This record gives sequence, structure tokens and C-alpha cells, in this order.
Amino acid sequence: MLRILKDYLFVVFVIASAAAAIIPLFHILFSVFYNGIPVLAKYGMEFLTDTLPPPNKAGGGIFPAIYGSLTMILLSSLLGIPLAVFAGVFIAEYPNNPLSRAARVVLMIMLEFPTILVGLFVMAIVVIPMGTFSAIAGAMALTIVMLPYVATYTEQAIRSVPRHYKEAGYALGLKKFRVVFSITLKMAKKGFMTGLLIGVAKVSGETAPLIFTAGNVWRSTGALNEPAGAIPLWIYYLVQQPYANYHEIAWGAAVVLLTIFLAIFLPGRLMVRS
Amino acid sequence: MDKFKIFLIPFISVVFGILVLMLAVFAINSIPIFQREGLAIYTENVWIASETPEEERYGILAAIYGTLYTSLIAVLIVLPISIGFSIFVVDFVPERLKEAFIIPTDIMAGMPTILFGIWGIFLLAPFLSGIADFLYNTCSFIPLFSYYNPTGFSYLTAGVLLAIMVLPFASSLIREAYRAIPVVYREAAYSLGLTRFEVAKILLGYIKPAILAATLLAFGRAVGETVAVSLVIGNAFNINPSLFAPGYTISSLIANQFGNAFVYEYMPSALFSAGLALFAIGLVVNIVGLLVLRRWTYA
Amino acid sequence: MKGQVAMVIAVALACLFLGCMAQESGESKVGEVQKPVKIYGSGASFPAPQIENWIYEFSKANPNILIEYASKGSGAGINDFKQNLVHFACTDPPAKESEWREFQKLGNPIQFPFIVGAVVVVYNLPVEDLKLDGATIARIFMGEIEYWDDEAIRSLNPGANLPHEKIIVIHRSDSSGTTEIFTNYLSIVSEEFKKKVGAGKLVEWPVDKLGRGFGGKGNEGVSAMLKQTPYSIAYVELAYAIHEKLRTASIRNADGYFVRANAETIASAMAASSSFVPDPREGYREDPKMFLNAKGKDSYPIVAFSHVLLWESYPTKEEAEAIKKFWKWVLTEGEKHLVEGYVAVPDEIAKLSLKAVENIRGD
Repeated sequence: MLRILKDYLFVVFVIASAAAAIIPLFHILFSVFYNGIPVLAKYGMEFLTDTLPPPNKAGGGIFPAIYGSLTMILLSSLLGIPLAVFAGVFIAEYPNNPLSRAARVVLMIMLEFPTILVGLFVMAIVVIPMGTFSAIAGAMALTIVMLPYVATYTEQAIRSVPRHYKEAGYALGLKKFRVVFSITLKMAKKGFMTGLLIGVAKVSGETAPLIFTAGNVWRSTGALNEPAGAIPLWIYYLVQQPYANYHEIAWGAAVVLLTIFLAIFLPGRLMVRS
Repeated sequence: MDKFKIFLIPFISVVFGILVLMLAVFAINSIPIFQREGLAIYTENVWIASETPEEERYGILAAIYGTLYTSLIAVLIVLPISIGFSIFVVDFVPERLKEAFIIPTDIMAGMPTILFGIWGIFLLAPFLSGIADFLYNTCSFIPLFSYYNPTGFSYLTAGVLLAIMVLPFASSLIREAYRAIPVVYREAAYSLGLTRFEVAKILLGYIKPAILAATLLAFGRAVGETVAVSLVIGNAFNINPSLFAPGYTISSLIANQFGNAFVYEYMPSALFSAGLALFAIGLVVNIVGLLVLRRWTYA
Repeated sequence: MKGQVAMVIAVALACLFLGCMAQESGESKVGEVQKPVKIYGSGASFPAPQIENWIYEFSKANPNILIEYASKGSGAGINDFKQNLVHFACTDPPAKESEWREFQKLGNPIQFPFIVGAVVVVYNLPVEDLKLDGATIARIFMGEIEYWDDEAIRSLNPGANLPHEKIIVIHRSDSSGTTEIFTNYLSIVSEEFKKKVGAGKLVEWPVDKLGRGFGGKGNEGVSAMLKQTPYSIAYVELAYAIHEKLRTASIRNADGYFVRANAETIASAMAASSSFVPDPREGYREDPKMFLNAKGKDSYPIVAFSHVLLWESYPTKEEAEAIKKFWKWVLTEGEKHLVEGYVAVPDEIAKLSLKAVENIRGD
């Protein structure tokens, strides 16, 4: 009798845990859309093309943030993806090399590294010598954050390719370089693209690495060596202001950010359906 | 050594180089404060910033306490929930629907943390502030609840927010481990006539190392989170056992103070040493977690 | 094969896009001859609403000069100026001599006051006109007065309906000129405060360890926290209190009268004090406590300048010209666009500052 009761309570606990695990996510997604979409409706298309308005004045938009975010995401992808892919390939193709073994540990460490420290590091070696906050510095910080994700996904993807494909390639007399890029990566495309998309999605939402590297702008868009805004940065600063219209803009920016994130992340994630 | 390897080596070296350089920058920049205060930087709770260098004195004990305390709250909340959730997904949900439950947690894992932050500051903090009020008015004799804080910015709010953020990591690890238990064990247990509860207890015992590893990894993640926490922790140099007290974490201390650090002679160094401490805590916890995981996978 | 071609095309497009963006500031729009010049400044949140308004008005007449001001606190402003990360920095208290010497390692700094403001004590209570005096404020912020209905507060506000609730103290978490002005004032009116806490941009508030202190980032963060925390007290610049409709306390001035901050009471404080402003090239000589606790029946006790730090020379002519144009405009036309809560600097001082701005060159 007692056993059945305990079993029943157990089932209740399990279902409650599942609810507790899932509900916050839906609440957050719901809140962002619920609070953000009316803002987009109210401000209209200008929300995406206009600059930050003065406090408590109507209208305005988040264009400098969108521009900065896109610039830095693109730049960090250009820098980080080749770097991470080649590193991942090395680890996968020469797994017993001591460099590989150490590199795997290094990548694990970097995965968990507090991103604020990455920002501090880039500030010390890039921003101060350059004499200015810049989009480049921000992009470099994002590259460091993206690196371990793309590298480990690439490595896993390559390792998951069955050996006989590679052996077939060698049997045909192909050089290692050819084998990897023409055969292995093609076969591992799914896992590799997932890693790419997840890495890019992750950095699109990062805030801490940008605080001391990209600076921030409210009204202008700049060259690569000038300060840049970013959507997560804007949200971070705007929620700490007292003005009601800035809070509105923060929610609107949150919706935009969430949409961009889901647009990049979901395709990547759904590709992995096993 | 074939040409391919030679071609790839620079890239792998860059990966090393970045980490080594990061550690070097932090270590070198921490030297001034160690020379000046020794380990007192970590053991005292004081933050005297003065434009006259002789008067400066820094001690980040409050931040260290806050980091450990909020991460502990997060892990204590996450542990039972992630175990329950894993059992739910593996045992209770039919095969076709499993992805439907796993994808949301993956989304949470990658979601921009600032979205947690904006939700936390505008929605979670007021909600928990109401609960805190109620608990304070009814059972403030318990030290955990003995603080008066109407703002909602407290260790509790930060801990709950962190819990929500690290849940996906802990639960994915436990879920995969639970799923990987050979079917024979399940079948054997059920064939003995055990209830679902008893079966689960046995199977969980089998994956105890994974649960431990998940806890440590979740703790390591929570320790490093910056933006969301700094918006809801209250930013006070405070050491207090109550859940409702405001405090500081190392990462939010750095985020708040680094902007004005170079005005003062020793503050940059103090903040770099705080970063070093943060890195050390995260490193220790993560390495122990990975070791436990590695050991168990081979066992 | 097709996938590879697609990737190469995508990368090429990305490079093209980035290249275009890099050229963006150099591309001239049809009809415009000048490319936009960007000027970056950062620093005190004390004058931020005023600066934002000036930028807004100035940009209307000068669309090719883009000015960005990051309100992050006087300390961060001096930080950025010292690291040469911005063109100008705003700090409420004048730079100290040690800081000035650091600046001189990089170039020739000039500093002058550009606006006058007041620090007010704001509170979140359903009480209309709270009266406080310097000593009581000091005791509140030191944590010695714990409840709103404490004897000290009640004696200053007989008949007021003060609740028996703990006072939540909100201060600045960042290095702040507003804090320096406020703590300078409290150190003048309370020996105990001077000894226990002292004055500075970043001080240790005893209320933190007592568990009733909270830190907000910038005047903005403090205002935001005060609005959503009942029974709290804080100090912010006057403009924030006015715009966010926060209740401000009347403070007893040196002559014993309870005064609220507004344009008249600020002007009275200035008139009653000897405002010595040194040559902009020696800005550190200025006394940050100039207008504090001023005499006069109508003088508000916590009044101060806010200053801007500039360099005498900038790397390019365009930057120098743009900076000169903006600050000349501020010193001459600025007083036509004052935000409520601020008072313009006296004419003689503006004239001196104007001369210094004229000397800015670009090479």
C-alpha cells in the first residue's frame, strides 16, 4: 500500500519537475513576445531603421544596434569559423597527437570560460593599444567565445564519419587534404553545419564580451575600427534606465534579438534530429 | 609530417595561444595587488577606492561569497528538477514526442542570456519580492528568511535565474546517461514487480557519477554568468546568510567596476585578480566534473 | 561542388558587405559634400540629460556632426579620457592634480565647467514635503537612523505621517561624481560622516553591511530603483527627480531655512559663493566644494558645476573643428536649450572657457 502511494507521489514529482523545467522557457518566450510585439507595432518600421530617441520622446529605433550586431556577427564568423574548423579537423584527424589531447582539454575549458573575462582580455590587448572601442575588438571577443563550440562540433562530426569512406579515398590515391575536405566534411555536413549555426546563434546573443570592447553607440553606425552598438548591449543598458520609453525599446529589441536567435538556432538544431 | 599537418598546426596553436595569453594577461595584471595586499584581496570585504593610491584597499570576499552562494542555490534547485525531468523524458514520454521536450531545453541552453536578464529584472524580481515579503512576515526567525528587502534584488532572485539558465546543461547530461542504461537492467527491475519509483531509484543509483558530474558542471556554468545576475543581485558589498539579502558576484563586480577602474592605481589589478579567482573556481569545478565523467564513462 | 561554390559566393558577398560597411563613413550621399564626423564622449550621468538635449538640438543644425555620449559615471569618463578612448569626458568634480599629471603624459588637457546642477535627496514615501537637515541625512546614509519614524526625522516633520518602516538606502554602485558632490556636502555638515565614510567618487556605505544599502548604476539606475522600491531614499541630480517625478526633500541650508532645489535656489547659492574658476589649462586647481552649503536665505545647499575635459589638439582637423563647433555652441547657444534642473554657468566663466575652446587645433 505504502509502495503504491510512494509510486504515486513519485509520478507527481516527475511531472511537476518536467513542468518546472519547461514552463520558465515558455514564460520567457511568451513575455518577450507579449511585451515586445506591441512595441514593434507602435513604433512601426522605423523601429528597425531609426536611431535611439531622447528620453520620453516618442518614436525612435534600434538601427545602430542591429547594424553593430550584424557587423560583429559576420566579422567574428569570418575570423572564427575557419580557425575553429581547421582546429577541429586537426583534433579529429590526428587524435593521438599530444597537441590534440591537450587541445581537447583547452577547448573544454574555453567552453565554460566566463565570457566577461574574455571581454576584459580583449580590452587589455586590443582596445587600449588601439585607443578606441571598436567593432573589431567586439568581433574578436565573440570569435573567442564561438571558437570552442564550432571546433568541438566539427571534431565530433568528422569523427562520426565511418572509416571506410576515408579508407576508400586513400585507396584511390587521394591526399589527406583532399580526403578531409572533399569526402569527410561533405559527409559530416550535418553535424558541421549544426556546430556552425549553434556557434553563430550563441554569439549573436552575447553581451558580456562586448561591454568593454565594442563600446556603444546610440545614434551612429561606424567603420570597423569605431565603436559599435549591439542588440544585447542595448537591452542591458536600457533596462537600467528609468525612462518608460527606453524600457519599451528594450522589450522591442528583445523580440528582435529572440527572432534572430531562433532563426539561426532552430534550423541548426532541427537538422540534428536523429 | 605531411604537409596537411603542417598546414593545420598554426590553427591549433592559435587555440592554445589564446588560452595561454588570457591566463598570462590576468596573472600579470594581478601582480600589483598581490604585492600590495597579499591574499587579503580574497579574504576581506572592503572596497575603498581613492584617488590617493596609499588609501586604496580592496577585498572581494563579498563577491566570492555571492558567487558561491548564488551558484549553490541554483544547483540545489536544479538537481531534483533535472533528475525528475530526465526520468520524465526517458521513461514517461513516448518515443515520438521526446524531441518535443528536448528541443525547448536546448533552446534555453543557447538563448541570449540578456533575455533571461530582462525577464528577471521586470518579471521575476517583483514576483519573488512578493514571496520574500510573505516569508519575511511569517517566518523571519529562520536566518534564511530574516532579511527585509522590498526590491526583489537578492541572492534568491539571482539563484533562481541561474537555476533556470543552467538547467538545460544538467538535465541533458543526466538524461543521456539515464537513457544509456542498458535496457536489460530496466527489464530486470520491472520483472521483479517493482514500482516505477523503485525502478527509478535503482537506475539512478547506477548513474550516480553522471549526476555528480552534472551538478559540478552546472555549478561551473552558474559561477561564470554575468549579465543576467548583475541585473538582479542588488550590487551591495554584503555578506549575509539570508536568501533575500542583496549581494555581489565576482562577475557582476567586474562588469560594474571595470568601466572606472583605470582612474585608480590599484583597481584594475584588483579586478584582474577577481577574474583570476573566478577562472580558478570555474576551472576546479569543471575539471573535477570532467574527471568524474571520464572515469565513469570508462568504468 | 555546388555547395562549395555556394559557400565561396557567400563568403565573397560577406566580404563585400563588410567592405561596404567599412567604407560607409567615407561614402558621400547624393547632395552632401561632407562626410559625417563622429565625436565620442563619456562620463558623468549628472549632466547627461542636458548633454543629450544639446546633442539633439545641435544635430538639427549640424547634421554632419554625430556626437555620441555614453553616460557611465564621472569615474568611467576620467578612465576613458586617461586611456584616450574618447574625444571628451565629463566629470562633475574637477579632475585632481594627480589625474591631471597623468593626462599630461598624453597631451595638453583643458577643463572647464559647462553647466550647473544640484544633487537632491529623493524618497519613495506617501509623504508630501519631507524636511531634512544635513546631520540627519548623514545619519541616515551612515545607517544610524533605521526607521522612517525615527525621532530625528519626526522632529523635523511634525505632523507628517511617517510609517514605521526601515529606510532602504540606494546609492551608486559605480564611481560617481554625483556621489563625490553628495559626500563632500555630508562631510562638511557632519564630522562623523567625514571620519566614518569620507568623500569620494566611490565610498563604502555603512548601510551595505547593515543590509539596507543597494547600488544602482548611474543616476539612471538609482532613479529606476527608487521608483520601484517603497520606503527608499536616494540621492540623484535634480533633472532626474523632475523628469521622473520623484519626491524631493527640502534641506535646511547654512542659514537655517528649508529649501527645495530649483533654478532660483541654485542661482542664489552661486551668487553667495566666491566662484573661482582657474584657467582651463589648470583645471585641477578648482575647488569642488565651491558652492556647497552656501549662505543665503534662498540658497540650496548641494549645488555644483559639472566639467568637461578636452584636449588642446586632436589628430585630425575634422575632429578638432567638430569639437570646437559643438562646445562653442554649448557655451553660447546652450542656455537657450536648458533642461529643467540645470542652470547655465555665469557669463564671465563661459567667456574664459570659450577662449580655451578657440585654441583647440587639429593636426
